[in-house]
Amino acid sequence: MNKKLLAILTLVILAAALMLGGCGSSNDKEITFTAWGASPSEVAALDETIAAFTAKTGIKVKKEVIQDKYMDVLKARFSANNPPDVMYLDSFEVPALLKSGVLEDVGAQIDNKDDFYPILLNAFKDQDGKYYGVPKDYSTLALYVNTKLLESAGYKVADIPKDMVGFLAFAKQLQTKLPKGTAAVVFDRELARNLSALDASGATVVKADGKADFTSNQNALNYLQMFIDGKKGGYTMNAKDDLGLDWAGAAFGAEKAVFMMEGNWVLSALKKDYATVKYQILEMPTVNGKQQTMAFTVAYAVPKGAKNKPAAYEFVKYMTGEGQKIWTSASGTLPSRISVTKELKLEDDPDKKVHILGAAYATVWERGVTLPVINSAFGNQYQAALGGQKTLLDAMKAAEKEANDEIERQK
Amino acid sequence: MGSKNLHNNLQGYAFMAPAMLVIGVFTLLPIIFAFLMMFCKVDLMAGSWKFIGLDNAGKIFSDVKFWHAFWNTTRYVVVVVPTQTILAMILAVLLNNKVKFQRGFATLLFIPSLTSSAAMTLIFMWLFNNNSGLITQFINNLTGQEYKFLSDPQLALGVIMAMNIFSTIPSFMVVFLAGLQDIGEEIYEAAAIDGCGQVRKFISITMPQLMPVTFYVVTMGIIGCFQIFDQAFILSGGDGGPQNSTLTFTLYIYQLAFNSSDMGRASMIAFILAIIIFSVSHGIDKVFNADKVNG
Repeated sequence: MNKKLLAILTLVILAAALMLGGCGSSNDKEITFTAWGASPSEVAALDETIAAFTAKTGIKVKKEVIQDKYMDVLKARFSANNPPDVMYLDSFEVPALLKSGVLEDVGAQIDNKDDFYPILLNAFKDQDGKYYGVPKDYSTLALYVNTKLLESAGYKVADIPKDMVGFLAFAKQLQTKLPKGTAAVVFDRELARNLSALDASGATVVKADGKADFTSNQNALNYLQMFIDGKKGGYTMNAKDDLGLDWAGAAFGAEKAVFMMEGNWVLSALKKDYATVKYQILEMPTVNGKQQTMAFTVAYAVPKGAKNKPAAYEFVKYMTGEGQKIWTSASGTLPSRISVTKELKLEDDPDKKVHILGAAYATVWERGVTLPVINSAFGNQYQAALGGQKTLLDAMKAAEKEANDEIERQK
Repeated sequence: MGSKNLHNNLQGYAFMAPAMLVIGVFTLLPIIFAFLMMFCKVDLMAGSWKFIGLDNAGKIFSDVKFWHAFWNTTRYVVVVVPTQTILAMILAVLLNNKVKFQRGFATLLFIPSLTSSAAMTLIFMWLFNNNSGLITQFINNLTGQEYKFLSDPQLALGVIMAMNIFSTIPSFMVVFLAGLQDIGEEIYEAAAIDGCGQVRKFISITMPQLMPVTFYVVTMGIIGCFQIFDQAFILSGGDGGPQNSTLTFTLYIYQLAFNSSDMGRASMIAFILAIIIFSVSHGIDKVFNADKVNG
């Protein structure tokens, strides 16, 4: 009898434990928020801004920093119906989330829309004009010049041609005067770095139906070919493939490259880790006579499944409004609001002004649901072309096929 | 009597309940779910399911990435399993030869197995680092050529192979060692009287006697190798690069499930992988005839 009782008791306790485990506690004075931390100092800046928000509103923010594979983690949480109240969202990921319909329209939470750089806000807008994210900051690419290396080769910054063809010809010439082991240019071969140049060449990389097109525009092919020639000639190098370094910034910082095309995220490394490098920042070379650069932007977004929407909205409003000044001055990122840029006098900052100029004409890294597929196909195949395993045309044809087949499969 | 039986059964079930519950929720339910998803187009984020029959299979077999994953994984299994089995056996035999400090050697050799695969991958990435890796420099100096192990599509998978062989040999070696100690001394003595040398003893006595152990090692090796994930994931940063050369089955399943949010295709590949592993181990069972050795 006793044993039976014990057994029943065990079952009851187990069942109770399971049921209780399923319930979470919710509090209308608290929100959950997921972010990634680009660096410890950025996380500190974020904490500072959040503290200011909590002091003002009394709403506690439970911040969760996801270190790696941010979107994989978030997608799993969406699938489990357990999204955060507010999340960081890269523009690149927006179309897929919109397709699944998991984001809340936050258009009503944006004060003074005209104050934002239009390209940034538009990256989070759908066809119906609804906004699904409020940009917090952005980065654009620029041309970094190691002035010491350039001058010791006998050139001045003013000698650098403004257009890409001229620039690469200059790099070829410069290479002959550089010490061994130093490359004229370190470049990145990803589509994320080259899309604006392909656009400027007149190519339609992503067609209206979402399919990839890398081959129909000769200008675009010529552009891509220049880097293959440059690699053969030893004057354009890829940090990973050719120099064995993690990224272009490491090559530039070690004074193994005269030029790099990088975003403003390198500034903190240049100031801290490579403080001795003398550099100057120029706008990206023009392609086909057009100004071009890439922009990368991240927004605050609110999932449809958020448990505490009123507080979430308040948080988004604060972080992209009043709080942006605290955030951008502490983190060193570029504010998405024109008024904050002006107030902080960032356009006079020699490091930041070129990057800010880019915001006027940059291509944002986003182009519909199929871009991730097209991006990975391009990455694989352009690398093969650069490595000499395929001709550029063959590689790009293969990339088109690889991407378009997969797009068809995902339909 | 009947009620006593029922009572006993109830009690038994009650004690098994926690384990059954865990197995049910975390093993059986996911398998059933995956089986159903295989025939559907699933967007887990939106929570939408659409039955599409066997379309996923058609999509998978026409997918170059799937075939990359297939060949990479197959190549991996074909190289790693025999190499690690043979090396583990040789090391075990050497250690069994009553060498001095046998235990010390066994301990030293076992250390790689204790290291987590993530740490091991990072260490190997340093060793094979394109620029300054110890092994890269050594090989480049030796051959006079410049190899870039991590970014060359021809070589990247080789690094993972080397790492896995290095880290799994020890645990299999210990299994072999246990098997070796079970072989009776009298068989060797009888063979010695018949005039057998060391090599002949190894081939005619040690190897057949070790057959059941070898079967175990090969089967475990095959299962483990077909499921290779973490090393490829860390080395390529999750994308299976350079140029899909480190894309394995499980990595592709991960990509489909969590990057493309296409659970249907991911489940389909998972089942294909299960079938492959099942058939290969079944084939190995037939070849080794493990049950029949030693009567």
